[in-house]
Amino acid sequence: MIRSDNGYFGEFGGRFVPEILLPALTQLEDMFFALRDDPDFWQEYVTLCQEFSGRPTPLTPLRRLSKQLGGAQIWLKREDLNHSGAHKVNNVLGQGLLVQRMGKQRVIAETGAGQHGLASAIMAARLGLDCTIYMGAEDIERQYSNVFWMRQLGSKVQPVSTGAQTLKEALDEALRDWAASVETTHYVLGTACGPAPFPEMVSWFQGVISKEIREQAMRQIGRLPDEIVACVGGGSNAMGAFGDFLDDPEVALVGVEAGGISFEDGQHSVRLSHDTGETGIAQGYKTLFLQNDDGQLGDTHSIAAGLDYVGVSPILAYLSQQGRIIPESATDDEVTEAFSLLMKTEGIIPALESSHGLAGGFKRAREMSPDQHVVINLSGRGDKDIFNIARAFPQKEWTEFLQREAARSTELLAQKRGH
Amino acid sequence: MFPAQHENLQIMSHAVVGFPSLEENEKAIAGLAEAGVRLIELQVPFSDPVADGHTLVNACYEALKHGGSVRATLDLAQKVCARHPEVTFVLMSYLNPLYRYGLEELFEKAAAVGIKGMIIPDWPVEEIEPWLPKLDALGLAPILMVTPNTAPERVEKIAHASRGMIYVVSRLGVTGHETQWGEKFRKYIAEIRKHTDLPLAVGFGVRTADDLNALTGKAEVAAFCSQYIEWQRDEGSEVAAEKMKKVISEIDTATT
Ligand SMILES: Cc1ncc(COP(=O)(O)O)c(C=O)c1O
Repeated sequence: MIRSDNGYFGEFGGRFVPEILLPALTQLEDMFFALRDDPDFWQEYVTLCQEFSGRPTPLTPLRRLSKQLGGAQIWLKREDLNHSGAHKVNNVLGQGLLVQRMGKQRVIAETGAGQHGLASAIMAARLGLDCTIYMGAEDIERQYSNVFWMRQLGSKVQPVSTGAQTLKEALDEALRDWAASVETTHYVLGTACGPAPFPEMVSWFQGVISKEIREQAMRQIGRLPDEIVACVGGGSNAMGAFGDFLDDPEVALVGVEAGGISFEDGQHSVRLSHDTGETGIAQGYKTLFLQNDDGQLGDTHSIAAGLDYVGVSPILAYLSQQGRIIPESATDDEVTEAFSLLMKTEGIIPALESSHGLAGGFKRAREMSPDQHVVINLSGRGDKDIFNIARAFPQKEWTEFLQREAARSTELLAQKRGH
Repeated sequence: MFPAQHENLQIMSHAVVGFPSLEENEKAIAGLAEAGVRLIELQVPFSDPVADGHTLVNACYEALKHGGSVRATLDLAQKVCARHPEVTFVLMSYLNPLYRYGLEELFEKAAAVGIKGMIIPDWPVEEIEPWLPKLDALGLAPILMVTPNTAPERVEKIAHASRGMIYVVSRLGVTGHETQWGEKFRKYIAEIRKHTDLPLAVGFGVRTADDLNALTGKAEVAAFCSQYIEWQRDEGSEVAAEKMKKVISEIDTATT
């Protein structure tokens, strides 16, 4: 897995935070640097992932769909089968081990799609920690089922209603909380962004994905795949899927960003592929941000809350600049189409974030030959997107059900108040 | 200019450029100068001000809607520096707007229009150090922050890179909430003084005349910002200036 040069990857990365957060970040970095060179720690982590989250996740061949598309053989790395339903739990379990070593009793997290928040709430429940999750008010509306479960698990979900009310604002608010609570609280950052050591550390924990892909490909395909494709929000599942292959030039690495509605400002979250992102320094790190001429971070859009983010992993920004990864994008419409296609052809319900990887991967596979192999990282399952999918494919029965359920729930609440 | 060590406590107040509007900024600054304020921060509004509490966050958002920007800040600075030579103006900004403008050009322009110092909360000392020769040549003082959890070696490093004064963050957290000024705070200040002869500007949680009196004899400067912006927001710049005048009149005079 890639290592930084003092927190930097080329010109990107670094640690640009208010002074107050510095001691916690250096403590975390010292601990992480010591543990990553300790093989027993990796073993402890992998065992935890196996016992608690069902790792290794399978590599599933899509025989019917590959044949239908007529190109390369497509395989899915099934991160959707993790406990909690997404790759996010890998990083959270890893950071949980660090929290235990630090002896902190409280954790905070930011979340977009709610998968990282859910994974953090699960870890907090399991370890008996106090947990607050910051989530944009807009994202709460988009991913309510995850909000529901976080609260049931005993976490506090704090809506953030500044700015565009999405992931960027949730991250700002988590940093503000941390500035006040840093002595007792660990910030479980959910993606390969933010100040050092987070990009490097989150990528290292997620690297379990690519280590498994390598082994499984050798066993199931008999060689390394020609391409690995992953969606890119902050970049943690992509870094996880790519990490072990950076020194295998024969394996193309493709990151698919959220093309949204169009390339107009505010209608997409494409930072790498179309010269839309500009180098900037915010939220604790230097990377390609969507921003205006005055250096104000821009508004973003994606159908997938987890990709609706203004910055990108400094590691991916660097690898993209170096030409080691190929940045692509998929529009909201291409994504719902890919979602449907996978579901109907292979019986797998993907998350909308992951469906960006599918859309990008299917498009590329079509252009390849049947003796080639593409692995797409299916970062999460689609259960959380039930409301979004219902909106994309309206059904009378669903609307009628919601009305009945709303009436039942209103009645229950009234009864409870009556007592 | 910046106060000398052990001079009487004075107030540093604040303008968020574009809040409530660019025209109003000029009047508000005139009001502060008239009230006796001799140090004023001109804050470049930013979309993601992570060291600020809700008052300044919301002021930033409002300011961005009303034309606040790096350029607007330099324009405003040019006017107010010329108009109020008795006041020392300090640029306060998060790094990205300045970085995007071009740091070198920004520093040169800021110095040329009369800005004397800069407070940039997300610009760590390691990144500032290479710029010191340039900043010294321009006479533009980097005012770095020390926080209660900063280790002594690091206080030393920060003191070494600071010019003009050191910004002492009074407590953990962001701007805009209360602070306690007890024995722990006194020890904290004493520890910092071991590493520097620069005057200390204390900020975060200075909201009342009582806070100011608690700081009298401990610090040279008290950053009176969020409370002032709240007055300005709720009652307008004129009333805010009157209130500031009253607060200043209530400071006991004693030397540190
Ligand atoms: C299922 C899923 N995939 C992908 C992402 C995007 O994040 P990252 O780019 O860090 O993998 C998210 C984020 O919430 C997610 O929930």
